[in-house]
Amino acid sequence: MRTERRTEMLAGYGLILIPMALFLILNIGSIVFAFFISFWNWTIGGGGVDVVGAANYERIVGDRIFHKAIYNTVTYTAVVVPLQMALGLLLAVIVNSKIRGKTFFRAAFYFPAIASSAAITVLFLFIMQPQGLFNGAREVLGLNPIFEFLGFGENFNWLGDQRSALGSIMGLNIWTTSGTMMLFYLASLQTISNEVYEAAALDGANAWQAFWRITFPLLKPGHYFVATVSVIGALQVFDQGYIAGGSNGDPNYSLMTIVLYLYNAAFVQFRLGYAAAVGIVLFMIIFTATLLQRRLFGSAPSW
Amino acid sequence: MTTQTASAPLRPNSPAEVAPVGDRGKKLRRTIAYVFLIGYALLMFVPFAWMIITSFKTQPDAVQMTFIPDPFTIQGWENAFTALNPSLPRLFFNSALIAGAVTISNVILGSMAGYAFARLRFPGREFLFVLVLGTMMIPDQLRMVPIYQIMRSIGLTAGPAQYGSVILVLAVAATSVFLLRQYFLSIPRDLEEAAKIDGAGFFTTFYRVMLPLATPAIAAVSILQFQGAWNGFFWPLVLISNRDYWTLPLALTQFRREFFTIWPDLMAVSAMATIPILILYLFFQRYFVEGIAASGVKG
Repeated sequence: MRTERRTEMLAGYGLILIPMALFLILNIGSIVFAFFISFWNWTIGGGGVDVVGAANYERIVGDRIFHKAIYNTVTYTAVVVPLQMALGLLLAVIVNSKIRGKTFFRAAFYFPAIASSAAITVLFLFIMQPQGLFNGAREVLGLNPIFEFLGFGENFNWLGDQRSALGSIMGLNIWTTSGTMMLFYLASLQTISNEVYEAAALDGANAWQAFWRITFPLLKPGHYFVATVSVIGALQVFDQGYIAGGSNGDPNYSLMTIVLYLYNAAFVQFRLGYAAAVGIVLFMIIFTATLLQRRLFGSAPSW
Repeated sequence: MTTQTASAPLRPNSPAEVAPVGDRGKKLRRTIAYVFLIGYALLMFVPFAWMIITSFKTQPDAVQMTFIPDPFTIQGWENAFTALNPSLPRLFFNSALIAGAVTISNVILGSMAGYAFARLRFPGREFLFVLVLGTMMIPDQLRMVPIYQIMRSIGLTAGPAQYGSVILVLAVAATSVFLLRQYFLSIPRDLEEAAKIDGAGFFTTFYRVMLPLATPAIAAVSILQFQGAWNGFFWPLVLISNRDYWTLPLALTQFRREFFTIWPDLMAVSAMATIPILILYLFFQRYFVEGIAASGVKG
């Protein structure tokens, strides 16, 4: 019996050896390494040049472009997260109701979320360019007076103008991620039993009241989960800004986000120590945001 | 089907009257819902259709608001196959190689670790599993600089080894371990007991008995990882500098920088990046949904 326990133990360690080594080196190890590098003046070819202490962190705090990156990322998160959640919830509730073709609609809404972000962003740039489908469609639909009123002329260059570039990327990501949020909410909706609705209906509640008095509060664990995932994702926005505006987030840093700033510091300016410090700051921002949400929504969901 | 809220008072055998909203209100709501659903579905389809249509247009025709290419041409695709450097087949090969290797590696390493964490008893098991789950909290961008340095120092940032660096970073995801562990936990123990009585060791039991039973979980992990690696943009961007080894998404963004507005060619490459995932999605939709639902449960 004792030898059997021993072989079981050895088999266990044997099976986790390679995966665990990868996790320890590439995840846990790399954070420690990042923290270490962040106190150095570190170059790509030469490695550590000299220890600079907290100088990298001090520079981050004083950097004007980093302020812009923070501002853009926070604005992006503040706009995208609520809209993503609202749209995801709306889609989930409709798709969950008794309608025909719900499987089809669910599949259709989720598709942009699984397609390549690069392909979608390039497609989006094509659609939003001055002679693109978007400007064409709003003319055909007779919406141009409204856009004109808001200051967007006929052949407006949505991603070339700093007033609208970030807003356009927000629209793009709300569009592509609404399906994912819908799926999360659908899973959460399954946990509410039908009896609650039957009881409410007996009490004379209409659909509107049932939604706001029952569905919405009972979805609290769902809200918590979706909000957390959505905020973490939004704070890390990168692909779309980089593809549309390059490593500077053009025009005029309007698409500069924290991660883009980090990428720029490492692979455009080759200041790896500085970039590592930015990474640590980003991690702390995400961590704080997650803690705040936990406070806001109470404890984590049990599922 | 009006099981939930039938309320017409004149119908003799209508069920108990529970809903205060009449049929008219209900019909209206339903119509609004359909209009919204169809409108939103169009918003999903039109851009992708536009991508395919444009790939068969000529450059001047690409900025016209017409849905039928005039003239219809395969010049965009021909350019993508022959004129682009690297050409579309090469890019397709690069993407397929990386995504395929990442998928296989996740299935093998994920099921090994998943099985050990689910069934075998060894000191430190719970702690190590929590550690694995904890890695999901680490943003990729924080790992960017150290991983680049590690890959560079072991010579994986030059030549064909650049495939290796991307594959290594994605070789085993915490979600793969988690998904497979959960599935192994749900398999009844009787089967393992039976194998043990027959004299099978731990590895034989794992390989011959448990692995075949875990096919649904393996399918979900495969789909999730293949899709993630195929679409992956961040790690190829950081780790692959030589254009011969670009993946489709990476090449697409670089091409856009190089020849800004040759839209038919760009749309052909975009279509090539999208279509394989679309096909997978049409056939294995269930696994996509299962994968995302499970990977979302991070804690």
